[in-house]
Amino acid sequence: MRKFLWLLCGLLFFSSQLQAQSRTISGKITDESGNPVPNASITLKGTSLGTTSKPDGTYSLTVPDNATTIVISSVGMAAQEFALGSSSTVNAVLKSQTGSLSEVVIVAYGTQKKKDLTGVVATVKAPDIENRPFTSVDKILQGQVAGLQSVAGSGQPGANQSIIIRGMSSITASNAPLWVIDGIIVNSGEAHRLGNNSNLLSTLNPNDIESVSVLKDAAAGSLYGSRAANGVIIVTTKRGRAGKTRFRFDTELGQNDIAYVNDKYEPLNAEKYFEITREGLVNAGTQPADMNNTLTGLGYNNGVDFNWYDAVARTGKQQQYNISAEGGNDKTTFYLSGGYFVQEGTTINSKLDRTSASARFTHKATDKLTLGITINGGYVNTRGPLASGNFGNPVLAGYFMLPSRPAYNDDGTYNLTASRLGNLHNVIALTEIDKRTQKDVGLRSNAFVEYNILENLKFRTSVSGDYNTLEEDQYNNPLHGDGAPSVGRAFSYYTRYFNRLSTTTLDWSQKLSKDYDLQLNLQVGYEAQKSSGYQNSVQSQLFPSNLSMNLPAVGATPVTATATLSDYSFLSQFSSANINLEDKYILSGSFRRDGSSRFGANNKYGNFWSVGASWNVDKEAFIENISAISQLKLRASYGVNGNAGIGNYDWYKLYGYGFNYNQTPGSAPSNVGDSSLTWELNKPFNVGIDVGVLQNRIQLSVDYYVRKSEDLLLDVPLSLTSGFSKVTRNVGSMENKGLEIALHAVPVKSKDFEWAVDFNFATNKNRITSLPGGNEIVMNTFYVLREGSSIQSFYLREYAGVDPANGDPLWYVDGTHQTTTNSYSSAARAIVGSALPKSFGSLTNTFRYKGFTLDAQLYYNFGNMIQDQWGGYYMGAGFGATYNKAARIFDRWTKPGDVTDVPKYVYGGNKNFNSSSTFYLNKGDFIRLRNIQLGYTVPASIASKAKLSNAFVYVRGTNLFTWVKDDNLPFDPEQGTNSQANLNVFIPKTITIGLSLGF
Amino acid sequence: MNLFSKYKLVGLAVIVAAFASCSKSFLELTPPTSVSPETALSTEADLLVATKGMYAGLRTGVTIGTTSYAPDAFGRTIPVLGDVMADNAYQSSVNTNRYTLYNNYTFPVTDGNALGMWASLYAVILRANNIINAPVDANANVNQYKGEAYAVRALCYFTLVRYYARPYTEDPNKPGLPIITTYDPDFKPERSKIADVYALINSDLNQAYTLMTLFTNSSQFSKYAAKALQAKVYLTMGDMANARTAALDVINNGPFKLVGAADYVAYWANNAIREDKLETVFEVSSDAVSNLAFDALSYLYSQAGNYGDFLVASDLYSLFSAGDVRRTLYPTGERPKNTPVVFINKYTGLAGDRSDTKILRLSEMYLIAAEASVGTNEADAIKYVNEITSRRGAAPIASTGAALYEDIITERRKELAFEGDRYLDLQRLKRDVVRSTNYPSAARTIAFTNFRRILPIPQAEMDANPNIRSQQNEGYK
Repeated sequence: MRKFLWLLCGLLFFSSQLQAQSRTISGKITDESGNPVPNASITLKGTSLGTTSKPDGTYSLTVPDNATTIVISSVGMAAQEFALGSSSTVNAVLKSQTGSLSEVVIVAYGTQKKKDLTGVVATVKAPDIENRPFTSVDKILQGQVAGLQSVAGSGQPGANQSIIIRGMSSITASNAPLWVIDGIIVNSGEAHRLGNNSNLLSTLNPNDIESVSVLKDAAAGSLYGSRAANGVIIVTTKRGRAGKTRFRFDTELGQNDIAYVNDKYEPLNAEKYFEITREGLVNAGTQPADMNNTLTGLGYNNGVDFNWYDAVARTGKQQQYNISAEGGNDKTTFYLSGGYFVQEGTTINSKLDRTSASARFTHKATDKLTLGITINGGYVNTRGPLASGNFGNPVLAGYFMLPSRPAYNDDGTYNLTASRLGNLHNVIALTEIDKRTQKDVGLRSNAFVEYNILENLKFRTSVSGDYNTLEEDQYNNPLHGDGAPSVGRAFSYYTRYFNRLSTTTLDWSQKLSKDYDLQLNLQVGYEAQKSSGYQNSVQSQLFPSNLSMNLPAVGATPVTATATLSDYSFLSQFSSANINLEDKYILSGSFRRDGSSRFGANNKYGNFWSVGASWNVDKEAFIENISAISQLKLRASYGVNGNAGIGNYDWYKLYGYGFNYNQTPGSAPSNVGDSSLTWELNKPFNVGIDVGVLQNRIQLSVDYYVRKSEDLLLDVPLSLTSGFSKVTRNVGSMENKGLEIALHAVPVKSKDFEWAVDFNFATNKNRITSLPGGNEIVMNTFYVLREGSSIQSFYLREYAGVDPANGDPLWYVDGTHQTTTNSYSSAARAIVGSALPKSFGSLTNTFRYKGFTLDAQLYYNFGNMIQDQWGGYYMGAGFGATYNKAARIFDRWTKPGDVTDVPKYVYGGNKNFNSSSTFYLNKGDFIRLRNIQLGYTVPASIASKAKLSNAFVYVRGTNLFTWVKDDNLPFDPEQGTNSQANLNVFIPKTITIGLSLGF
Repeated sequence: MNLFSKYKLVGLAVIVAAFASCSKSFLELTPPTSVSPETALSTEADLLVATKGMYAGLRTGVTIGTTSYAPDAFGRTIPVLGDVMADNAYQSSVNTNRYTLYNNYTFPVTDGNALGMWASLYAVILRANNIINAPVDANANVNQYKGEAYAVRALCYFTLVRYYARPYTEDPNKPGLPIITTYDPDFKPERSKIADVYALINSDLNQAYTLMTLFTNSSQFSKYAAKALQAKVYLTMGDMANARTAALDVINNGPFKLVGAADYVAYWANNAIREDKLETVFEVSSDAVSNLAFDALSYLYSQAGNYGDFLVASDLYSLFSAGDVRRTLYPTGERPKNTPVVFINKYTGLAGDRSDTKILRLSEMYLIAAEASVGTNEADAIKYVNEITSRRGAAPIASTGAALYEDIITERRKELAFEGDRYLDLQRLKRDVVRSTNYPSAARTIAFTNFRRILPIPQAEMDANPNIRSQQNEGYK
């Protein structure tokens, strides 16, 4: 097949045409400042004949004698036409295009002029992506795009970042956007099986990214068909520009500390812990003799007061180094880069380092034929502790370990005696003697051939793919901790995802009328994709006491030896069209037909489409004369796309194997299945306006959207008596409505001083519009799905405070809040807020004074609630009495008449107060100084003495300041999009100093 | 457009067509480690594999969403509740917070262990139903597998009905369990009466007894294991005549032999499944590969593992005379330091092959025969109970009347301690739970009428099944 393709390309190659009699035009192209413009395009109007300018801006082009006009253009510059007279010299001064509407933006399967857009595409460019102290680009997008919510869940370097664009539209299927990197629809998200955190995007160095396009509505995204529902993020890596080879070196150094700390949740010291424990024992009616035994067992008066929280928290180091080279000539351009990034988390045992490289070559073999390849990859080495309720989780140890349990013996060695650790684990020792690592390799490559069959007919085909491997290793030593009972154990898990695509497109553009400027752009395409997952898992036990012998090969007893596969495939045909009348009226349409292995036999193929229209009002005569208005554009779009983010084999009715007994094979029902299972429908409507006034000193975009999601992929809960807990079906519908505002203003602009303001704001209102039978569904015990309410609605018993008479916890028996009960089971659950914010966005101020720049971005998030899943242990009125408590426990009731919200402390617990309720739910509103950077550009006169073309130094703070609305919020307000705190590595604040040099 | 470029377009069309032509098989990707239910249950050999999967479900509980309830079947929770909710095992002041709410009698309707047990046993019931209903032609092996499935289904219902419904001996017409014998994922059942559940259990055990002919090993049901379970079912129903008949059928006609004092410690130290028919009538096996790892029963009781949370109640320990071989399973020690306590050493398999969970032992058949004989033949009762005391180095029982009955109940407590039996005895006997001072003062006497004497129908079941919502157990509404 591929041979045939190359043969065809070869044939096309030899079909170039002979020229008639000719003459040569030459000249120099400069910008407004007089600098040469390399790589500008010089073409003979109405033909494919053309060339590009050299690094010094000069060009020469041989044209037929009868040629009349040449067109000179360059990226980011306004194209100009020159009538050819007798002179053979044509010099051009290209002007920067004013206004964002003239920009070219990257869209689905190609590029488009911004003025031609009917859809909503937000673009983030390299300067806002480079040199951030983040492990992956998804974290960098926070606050940069209106309506894109990016929330950290863990401060573990390399952790996954949840991104939601224009609200959550799926209950069970993925809510993650589709990531397309250099044309590759990549596997993204979490891929770990043994570790806690992995993010396949971590292998991509953000410094290699040239631009990120976020496709938000139907007109922009529907071309991706059954996977466009959650929005599409198109990442394009850097490409070289022709000219003298330019080098660039960037580096930064810094450190990470915990971004948000609430003193109310500081773990107790020994004196305080024993004070409350003694009180709790008295309240529990313990006899004095038993009390002393219990206190002694807990280490009372043993002279130890160890602060575990301080011992697990730390200041982490942060560094990165990036070097790149780019250059080339009019035929061939290249970009090469290498990078190294290292980040230590805010708790012991959390670290990531990445080594990455990127290369792109583009070669114009003939005027018609262009070849190119991009390849980039990274090797990521992560060290991460256990998380959530594991004894080996350092954060858990920080809150749970008693101050009377020492990490070290008197002789300075580690305390590894279980009884002296309250049977929890000495995480300080485990950090050194256990092992938990993950090594990820991610490679992405795209090779393409582009052939201009005719001037207005372009054929492009590419073969691309991404390849990810994860090697996860864990060793638990035989002396202490999780490995002790099995005398040591080690795991090695290997995971590989190989995903490849073949994409072919044909682009045709045609002027449709002689009388009007009526232009048609048409694209047809074909794409096939297959992703193959391969996983194998090994575990063995019984290890020698030599702690360096830590791979499964050493273990005497093999325990796990499994391997399995997980594949999916897509086959798609697609087409898009765009009609433009005099740049005033633009009509667009798209269509895609997707087939997927994930869809049930009865529903293998689906059709997805969009229509869009825009009106460039500023091109109308009645506006053109109003000089204050530089842009005015109205847009609207509607369409249908899908969400195919379900498990690869969810539609099958299944009996699984591996339910083994006495080491003989066993089978059991493993999936209910539904052969009609298919994509979830998403129908986004968008209307928007773009306004620019005063030479675009003020630019405003406002969009309003309504997304209706139907045939939701929903895990319908089953009666547990069926033997199953759920089945995935296409039932239910939902709606997301919202408003997005993006404002860019330059209040002051002078030679030496400039002040720019960027503000974005987004609201989202989510509403479930139908559920099977109209019945509400309780999800994961903490959330409820109910018609008319938001997805991710917390569904909890409502805490009513403490009975002043006896210190009992009280809950409301129903929503009227009239009657309280001290019986937890008798209290009713109610919807008490949503995990999703009502509004969020950012405000960025940028100041430039001569060589100095100051950037400050505030990120804000309002209207969600956050649940602390572990609060019952350290605030639960004596529940988990043998674990340490938080300072706030001293707000407890002590005597009749006390009015407080923390019940009487009873050793062992007070009437299920520890169980989930609104006591453990806090307001999630916060404002955070996401980014502040002070930079200085060294004057060219000085830089050039050091043979530098430019030099820039900066100091940057990230998450330096956090304001939260709720005084009782125990942990960082960023807890993923499900807003549940889970004792993860603390989110960091970072200070870095950096240097960027060009030469 | 000239002729040549037409050819180019034809060429492109060929390319697109070539890609498109391979479409059908390209989109058909079958699951790598699973097959359809029809394929999985189509032959005799398939049924054998399915029975292993069924037994595996008795050992390891289910996962719901991303939460694992692996310990909540017979692998840990079921045997543990039988002693912690009673008066045998209490939580040490140094503990990892497992089963605290049961030690303290404060579990709410949302309790995870109650959810896990319910979901896990109904998942096993589905596995058994599928084997029973599989359209495979009968032969001796197929009958054996179906018989085992009947027995497992009976065991699951018998366990659930005793934990989630009031005792049969109190009132058989109170709400029992939803009865599920065929697969219908969308069925939202109501609770049947307790009597109906017991009728199904007895019907299943009769089927099992009739169909089975083989004894494979101690970890699988056999003909007389089904009869032994039925003896316990009748005892629980208070049907002493049938209990005695069934127990004696196992004693007299079954292949099992009693363990003696000399072998007693070795018997408990053995983690392997038995083919020698010594003592164990049926047990749920945890092998060296498929086991609950840290969540195994042994980890909760043994001091050599990570937890060792539960200890022997002082009143139970004082029942063992110095010469009683059973006392050697309960060594004394300190936890925390300087606090003398008694450890539970019945389960020692921490690495490799884990300790199995004993469900039915021959010794219990003698104890059932003794208890069921008290009312009609005291001499027999004394004879049967002393078959046990004489094999443990304990003093022979010689009492009569009510004292004899009490001695037999006490002998059950001693013999079956930490095997999940004691609490269910107190349930069928309609007695208060009266616990030693080892337990928290607020939870030392749990009246028979206390609503927490049975577990809540899990919140998740109430949420998913509208037809059961009005049938929650008293006190959890």
